[in-house]
Amino acid sequence: MPAKLVVDRLSHHYPDEYTGEDVHALDQVSLSVEDGEFSAVVGPSGCGKTTLLNILAGLLPHTEGSVQVDGREVQGPGPDRGVVFQEHAILPWRTVARNIGHGLEIQRLPRREREQKVQEFIDLVGLSGFEERYPHELSGGMKQRCALARTLCANPVVMLMDEPFAAVDAQTRITLQEELNRIAIATRKTILFITHNVDEAAFLGDRCFIFSRRPGKLKATVKINVPREQRIWKDLLSEKAYTDPRDEILRLVREEVFDDEE
Amino acid sequence: MTRSSEAVAGRKPQSRRWRRFVRGGGVELVLLIAGILFLWSVISQNIPNPGRYLPSPVSVVLSSYDVIWKGLLPNYIGQTLWRLVIGSVIGLLLGIPFGIALGLNRTVSDMFYPIMNFFQSISGIAILPIIVVWWGNSEKTVFVVILYTCFFPIAFNVLTGVRSTPMILVNALRTLGASRLRIVKDVLIPSAMPHIATGARLGIGYAWRAVIAGEMLAGRRGLGWMIFTAQDADLTAQVILGMVMIGVIWIMIDRFALRPIEADTIQRWGLVQR
Repeated sequence: MPAKLVVDRLSHHYPDEYTGEDVHALDQVSLSVEDGEFSAVVGPSGCGKTTLLNILAGLLPHTEGSVQVDGREVQGPGPDRGVVFQEHAILPWRTVARNIGHGLEIQRLPRREREQKVQEFIDLVGLSGFEERYPHELSGGMKQRCALARTLCANPVVMLMDEPFAAVDAQTRITLQEELNRIAIATRKTILFITHNVDEAAFLGDRCFIFSRRPGKLKATVKINVPREQRIWKDLLSEKAYTDPRDEILRLVREEVFDDEE
Repeated sequence: MTRSSEAVAGRKPQSRRWRRFVRGGGVELVLLIAGILFLWSVISQNIPNPGRYLPSPVSVVLSSYDVIWKGLLPNYIGQTLWRLVIGSVIGLLLGIPFGIALGLNRTVSDMFYPIMNFFQSISGIAILPIIVVWWGNSEKTVFVVILYTCFFPIAFNVLTGVRSTPMILVNALRTLGASRLRIVKDVLIPSAMPHIATGARLGIGYAWRAVIAGEMLAGRRGLGWMIFTAQDADLTAQVILGMVMIGVIWIMIDRFALRPIEADTIQRWGLVQR
């Protein structure tokens, strides 16, 4: 299988906003995500996860190493990489339908085709009936469904997700995780999902990349051998094929968090 | 039977309007205005020579009869409003794009921010003397003062609005492949709308004061000119009439023109919670 996203010996330094000191955020990170694969990046806070995502999205220029999508070096943001941000990234002055169709509007797709596509994704993420609502009329979970649909609708090669469910309540999060799994299977998207939540990473990922503390390094890669079609929370919790790698990831992440106390 | 039910149906909307008036504090407002008028009358009756120092409300109303009858008051109000509208439309047309352009670049906007803040603090009345030196007592002077007065608060507020756009919204559009122009159109301008509306309201409010001051020093006709000439002619009732008109007209402009625009865009988007 060809790799859609290839990161090769990527390092990143930046001066601290207040002290001006050099911060070493990423150190020689190499990883690749294959076509249609769901990969999760998990690590303690401040491990450079968000820095990595911003570089992959092209929002942050990289100086050392390379990032390639579909064989092309990343230089600035582009519609080949769609991003779902942590929260509040949909436009408050656009209705749900107009937010979701925004990418296609930018791509200058004719109106009729656009509306057809938009409706398809509104149905896919379960926002039917809310097409003409404004974001402030939606719950946190629905806002994220809208953001997800907007990114999917623009049909990127790779989808980058930056802790998209971190700001919603626990009940909604469980539903959204199952929904995202279903949608990812249905659309066969190549996804890189960033989270600090070990359960979430293991539930969603085909593979999980575990990052060390700053400077962020790829510490280990753990494969989850449960077919994605079978991933439903109530069944998975007693499944060894899920709990074993999950515990392994938890152990690896905890080592990073509690390193100081040894 | 039918008659009485018709009567009830006919009375209903009126009573609803009355209830809304009461709930909106209408009764208290009427009482307050009546109280002020009463106090004013009492003071007026207990000072020597009230015709010169403080004519009673009744004589102010009577003096209005004279200027309305001669067609002067409507003419003056029209003149003043015309100056305000032209001046502030030009101010908006220049101030909004200028504020947006400055806001696009962080370095440029950091540089201009204190300068804009400086100029928006110098009121129209404070720059009037120098404008009179440059252009004399002409119509041009009045327009320049109005334009100056509304331009800076508008541009300054628009600049603030563009600067306070959440970076995440700009980034979201960049990752969708949006061009710079589209980011301005789809993100920066709508996001700055509350500030643009505030800037417009402030700017036009300041311009309303400036036009009166400008007319006093440099204009011909208009409400400001009426007040000034009435003072010269020792017609204090007409001076007060002019002052009252200034306040009443502003409240109407604000209530029927400026507030609805604000409510129409901003509240619908949930940018301002009520």
